[in-house]
Amino acid sequence: MKQIESFDEGFVLALAPEFVLVIGLFTLMIAPNVGNATFRIPLTQIRVPWFFGGKRGLLSSDPRLPGLLTTVFFTLAFGLATVSFVGGMNKTQIITEGGSTMLQIDEFSRMFELIFFGALALASAASVNRLPATSRSDRTAAGLYNNRRQVDFYILLLTTGLGMSIVALAQDLFLLFIGLELASFSTYVLVSFIKESKEGTEAGMKYFIVGSVASGVGLYGLSLLYLWSGSLQFADLSVAFAENGMEALPLMALGMLLVGFGFKVSAAPFHFAAPDAYAGATAPVAGVLATASKAMGVLGLLRLLLVVASPEATDGSAVWLVALGVLSVVTMTWGNLAALGSTNPKRMLAYSSVAHAGYMMAAITAIGALNWEDGHVDMSTDAALVVVTALIFHLAVLVCFKLGAFLVLSLLESEKGGHTLESLGGLAKRDPFLAVAMFIFMMSLAGVPPLSGFVSKLLVIMGIVKVALLDVTVNSNLTFGDIHWVWFLALLMVINSAISVFYYLRVGLVMYFHEPEEGREGALPSGTPVRFAILVCLITTVFFGVGAGQLIALCEAAANALVGAW
Amino acid sequence: MTTDWISLPLVGLPLISSIVLLAFVAYSSPAARDRMGPSIRMASLVFSLIMLVLTTAMFFGSNYIEGTMDWATLSFGSFNYEFRYDWIESLGIHWTVGMDALSFPMVWLTTFLLPITIVATWHEKNAAVYFPLLLMMGGALIGVFVALDLFMFYVFWELTLIPMFFLILKWGGKDRKYASQKFFIYTFTASVIMLLGLVTVYFLQPENLSHAGAWTGRTFDIPTLTAHAQSANAGGAWFLGESLQKILFVMLMIGFLVKLPSVPFHTWLPDAHVQAPTGGSMLLAGVMLKMGAYGMFRLPLAFFPHAAQHFQFALLALGMISLVWGAVVCLGQTNLKKMVAYSSVSHMGVILIGIATMQPLGWAAALFMMFAHGIISPMLFAVCGAFKHHYHSMEIGAMRGMAKHSPWLATSMMFAWMASLGLPLLAGFVAELMMFLALWYFIAAEGWSVLWMVGPAFVLAITAAYYLWSMQRTIFEGGDDTQPPASLHGQPVPDITGAEKWAMVVMAAFTILFGVMPWIALDMMHGWTEAFFETLLIPILKGGA
Repeated sequence: MKQIESFDEGFVLALAPEFVLVIGLFTLMIAPNVGNATFRIPLTQIRVPWFFGGKRGLLSSDPRLPGLLTTVFFTLAFGLATVSFVGGMNKTQIITEGGSTMLQIDEFSRMFELIFFGALALASAASVNRLPATSRSDRTAAGLYNNRRQVDFYILLLTTGLGMSIVALAQDLFLLFIGLELASFSTYVLVSFIKESKEGTEAGMKYFIVGSVASGVGLYGLSLLYLWSGSLQFADLSVAFAENGMEALPLMALGMLLVGFGFKVSAAPFHFAAPDAYAGATAPVAGVLATASKAMGVLGLLRLLLVVASPEATDGSAVWLVALGVLSVVTMTWGNLAALGSTNPKRMLAYSSVAHAGYMMAAITAIGALNWEDGHVDMSTDAALVVVTALIFHLAVLVCFKLGAFLVLSLLESEKGGHTLESLGGLAKRDPFLAVAMFIFMMSLAGVPPLSGFVSKLLVIMGIVKVALLDVTVNSNLTFGDIHWVWFLALLMVINSAISVFYYLRVGLVMYFHEPEEGREGALPSGTPVRFAILVCLITTVFFGVGAGQLIALCEAAANALVGAW
Repeated sequence: MTTDWISLPLVGLPLISSIVLLAFVAYSSPAARDRMGPSIRMASLVFSLIMLVLTTAMFFGSNYIEGTMDWATLSFGSFNYEFRYDWIESLGIHWTVGMDALSFPMVWLTTFLLPITIVATWHEKNAAVYFPLLLMMGGALIGVFVALDLFMFYVFWELTLIPMFFLILKWGGKDRKYASQKFFIYTFTASVIMLLGLVTVYFLQPENLSHAGAWTGRTFDIPTLTAHAQSANAGGAWFLGESLQKILFVMLMIGFLVKLPSVPFHTWLPDAHVQAPTGGSMLLAGVMLKMGAYGMFRLPLAFFPHAAQHFQFALLALGMISLVWGAVVCLGQTNLKKMVAYSSVSHMGVILIGIATMQPLGWAAALFMMFAHGIISPMLFAVCGAFKHHYHSMEIGAMRGMAKHSPWLATSMMFAWMASLGLPLLAGFVAELMMFLALWYFIAAEGWSVLWMVGPAFVLAITAAYYLWSMQRTIFEGGDDTQPPASLHGQPVPDITGAEKWAMVVMAAFTILFGVMPWIALDMMHGWTEAFFETLLIPILKGGA
């Protein structure tokens, strides 16, 4: 592993995707203000073109410019991350002068960056149509106002991306927390961005209050942890936990940090704000919350539970095993039962997101159940690899179909629909492409083969079952009792996904069976960028299901970078 | 030149062509869609006929397709046209296809029914979408039967749900929304439980069997797993231990029993059938139900024979209850299609009893029942569909004196009803007779009282009763002075259309063919079941005694 200090040789190259985002931030501030202003050199008549201000040009005054620029920058960052990941990973650590590691660029962090940038690129493409940007000729107050604030929205999206990639790269708990907060604060504003809407403001408020309380609790845990070990470096913490992690102070700190991350992944009982936030935010933002933001939370959980408080630290299984197992069951069941009763599709997707958080927590629980005593380490590492791969795969394909579903809703929102299931009525007649896409997204969420949602669910189940059967010696004296109890998590998971079919299917029924609502008979707004984004989601949803091999290989490489470092 | 790939077009042609057609249709205006209807219908018919020609050539085997082994002597565990292609290598998932005497009759049946269904429902509305969906259904069904990889099997198993869901939803009756949802949820719930069972089996195999994945070291390959289970079960040992084998057997069986369906999981079937359009019902009853029985033979019975023997009486009881319950409920039906649907439940009970006898004869009976019911029940539903189509009602007694008004429909109905109640010289009779013999042997071997035969025998009488009674009320009663049903609003009473006549005649001809010369299909089925018992079951089950 190469170690470099800030702004040494190779620093910019190693952090190229992040620098692209920073450049994007400045471009967004500058580009919409470029005009034909000139600057007169004092005491002369010579006017030098100055470009800031004046009468803006055709391009720079286009209200759609920030959205398109942001999409380009995220795509560029995505491309750079892909190139550095696929074309031979150059593992790098960014260290301080004192030698402590701050950021680490490896397969694991790159994979998560791909997830974040992919989701944000799609969301920003979709927002180009979704935010009420009107044409330049719109001189009404509302039109001017809407066109003015376009750029703010996209700047917030960029800072979200920046914060998330810091979370992915951080090797220091404090740095990780800063990234988390940067991303969180941006999303709080994004949720309530359209302040004219009552729901949006209320949702943002709720999300902010609950989120900041969770962050505060997490931060307190962090300070306790620092008090205990004197360092927040992952490497130091891991060693400290291995030595005496069973003391009360670190365990309390761990619990408090779990609250902070639990809110991010919308795990029960910290999930109450999620449905409100998703329902109040515009659909692309809700999509980001459900995919990228959730991936960030899972990333935090993985770092915290598997690196810092790694199961190796204790004998046998991890300390948090039973607690997390119970929470995962509560989360998935609660999410599914609540989704059954929601009539707002965005709330339904929010609760389904809670259920998915439950599945992922079940997978993390399974890792905790591994046996790390001498002689078991190789086997356990293998099994942990399967589980982490499954988790990363799940998060990656979630961007395809969950975000895709939100994007379909976002098109409905632009005609003031999307808040009731009935507004989806007759979508099959009005717009067959959207209906087919939505149906495929729903089937993928439910886990119907051959879509990617099925493969991800299968991988999670496989991971859990593998762990459950790890200590089992296969012979004819095997009994059912020999199997580890985490097997039942897999059982509950399949039962839950059977329940979930009901509400996913209901969306299909409404689209294909119900007549359009009154006033909604006509064609939907066109919106090329959002349709393109939906098409991308659709193709990847199918492709990663039928040809999952390559993505699994990438996720495996990413998981290897995390698990192999133990 | 090797011809192993020959089974690929059977899956690929219908799936790809249907997706292309549907995508094409999705991007055309409603008016253009109506215009394209007839040509899409014709294209679907041509595709399905190509598949029928292909499978028929496969049946005649080596004369036409190089490398085909004789179906009847194909040794157990080997497959015709076996073809393996890496899919997700790291997990040991392959695209593996192949056919033996268990799957081939089902594949042939599917390709046989597809053109018949298309012809029988020639005038279905919204043709541009309907016929590609039928094709897709056919492709997915064939995929289930030719798959020799658990992952692939499960993918196609679930894929069949989607076209059927839309067929019921878009072309179904009044309560289609409820029925399609119920159908989907019932079968999906059962199959995810099955999936967990399959994954558990996957991780309980030793590492590095053949075709194992590079990463997990396990394989989804069905022949490999069967061979491994066979050796682990040998000599009376329980593969995976007693309690686990029983639990896994039950988990897999739940998936298949719901699909079959067996009482008490059968309630989705009458709803789905009554609401489904004729074409959907024909494929549902003809092939889709058989997926359940097929899966039982392919997986749990081959993997867990000890557990199968342990649960033998439970299976027998389920079969008996299905048989009797289905028949008794039929007596009370006033809806023609519902009656036929419950008779399907009853006939699936026969398959289950055949399996539960755990004898070659009983299993051959089950296999032949799968095949015979696959020809007869589509005819039943085609008759129901024609009845509904022409008289706008499904009620028994809505139309009387059909023999006078609609001689073609009356004749078809009579023929189909007779075939279903097991008239000698028709295909259904052979299967029922074999099942009774097998059950008789079984009862004699167990030393039970002959009274146990009363239940099934009684069912024959009930079956005759409900069929004859419904015939009497629709075909003959009334005579010359019957009034046409009120639902026709004074229109003249029509007979069935030419396309429907063709479909009926072909199905009837094949019912007679397999009734008079059952050995055409029975030879290979019998060979397969004998081989299954000789090479797999007997060494395992006798070993411990």
